[in-house]
Amino acid sequence: MRVEALLQFALAIAFVVLWVFVPTWSISGVNYSVSLMPWGYVVRFFGEIHVIPPPTVYAVWLFAIDAGLLPLVWRRSRYSLYLAALFSVLSLSMLMDTILFQQRYLQFHGYTIAPTPNGYIYVSLPTRPVLGLPTYVLLALTILSIFNMVTRARWLGTRVIEDPIVAVVRVLKALNIEYSRIEHGVEVGGVRIVRQGGSLWLVRDGEATEVDLKTAITEAVKVGLRQPVIGVVDYGED
Amino acid sequence: MSTNPFKITLLISILSIAIALTLIWGTAQTAPNLIRYSTLSNTPYIKVESINVTSNGVYIRLALINNGTLAFKPTGGWVEIVDTGQVVNVTVINGTVIAKLPLTPQWVSLASVGVKGIVSGVLNGSGAYIAFFDVVPIHVINTIGIADVSYADCVLNVTLSVNTVVPVVIGPIINMSLFTVSTPGYYVFETIGIINTTVYAPAGSHNVTLTIRVSPALGRYTYVYSCNYLSGFSKYTLWLPIGVTYIYPTGNVTSYTLLTKTFVVGDGS
Repeated sequence: MRVEALLQFALAIAFVVLWVFVPTWSISGVNYSVSLMPWGYVVRFFGEIHVIPPPTVYAVWLFAIDAGLLPLVWRRSRYSLYLAALFSVLSLSMLMDTILFQQRYLQFHGYTIAPTPNGYIYVSLPTRPVLGLPTYVLLALTILSIFNMVTRARWLGTRVIEDPIVAVVRVLKALNIEYSRIEHGVEVGGVRIVRQGGSLWLVRDGEATEVDLKTAITEAVKVGLRQPVIGVVDYGED
Repeated sequence: MSTNPFKITLLISILSIAIALTLIWGTAQTAPNLIRYSTLSNTPYIKVESINVTSNGVYIRLALINNGTLAFKPTGGWVEIVDTGQVVNVTVINGTVIAKLPLTPQWVSLASVGVKGIVSGVLNGSGAYIAFFDVVPIHVINTIGIADVSYADCVLNVTLSVNTVVPVVIGPIINMSLFTVSTPGYYVFETIGIINTTVYAPAGSHNVTLTIRVSPALGRYTYVYSCNYLSGFSKYTLWLPIGVTYIYPTGNVTSYTLLTKTFVVGDGS
């Protein structure tokens, strides 16, 4: 499982969890405020609280969770990353559409007028639009998912491997070469690569020669490529 | 592979875009039913409590009626008297809103006036303005009192402090008496009947002096026990029932009032 994909998942979960506590978008004021929460617009007016749920608000977090979860569930094809990027963009556009809902249907001009028995009362309610922290997390998720799509979730690069056997195994894995782990080493076809102390030994037909890591990998691949390719490589397929 | 990932991706993409578009359309369709309109109820308002017309000016008292949970704190504002065209800023003293206007001749002939205005303030931390219009009866306050009394050589000098909106004619006097404040009390003089002494005071705040020679010549039933204060007594009361004629533009109004004054003569011994 790639760290890049896990990071994408973490951002999606962080967005949804954070949103439960912090509105993504709000019009804040003393006696009047509108906050966009995962369950809809929470409108507060002089102690009265109303929840207005535009259906698009549910799509925002459903698409965001999809964008985070999909690369973990579907790892075979790089199309999973493409689809995840699409989901994150859809999530963001649903959020924008929900904000537009507020601008269109819950618009507020900063005052209210109410009748009194012999006149009227004008109450000035100045408000300030605020884009909340979860929105920035969603923006980061969108950017990361697009970046992951472009780099095939490989922008963190290859890790430095201490154990030469692990290095050999990784190469074999990446090439879908069948191998088996043996004590202190790995076996491909009839060739064994064994680690003994600080040196690598290539064992072929009973005779052992000391080799460096480069030669060991080359020999293992040479043998391995004569075998049928099996196994799974993350986002390997076109 | 039995399934082509490209095909799956294309299918899911089209499906999710279709869902998104349907939601946008559906939200726009249901929006009028989702939103609700709210307005303030039981809001505080301003009522004109009283208008007192005095010789010093017209005092308008505005009452703030908080009939709900919303608390309004007045800070300023203005009122306009529709009938006279006067506009004045209000002053807020300990939460009471008062406007003071100069007295103009029109006030004397008005029975009620229309008062409109705006009081600004703070409602639950938000700036607010309350507009009001009320038609309110006028309460005219005229006061006449005794400021000072002196009696010597059978001559009584009464200084009257007159605060009236209109000119007044003070007099006649009916059944006045001066007596000691003691037990038992002693009369200095006593008159029974009408003494036709009058004095004129213009509108506003003035002091006028009523001078009466107390003698049997004033009438048959005038009893003068002493032409000066009684020796041994320092505290006296003047009992002065008197008629007052207010000269309104619409006609004269005469009313009778009892003026009394208890005073101390000399050093109080």
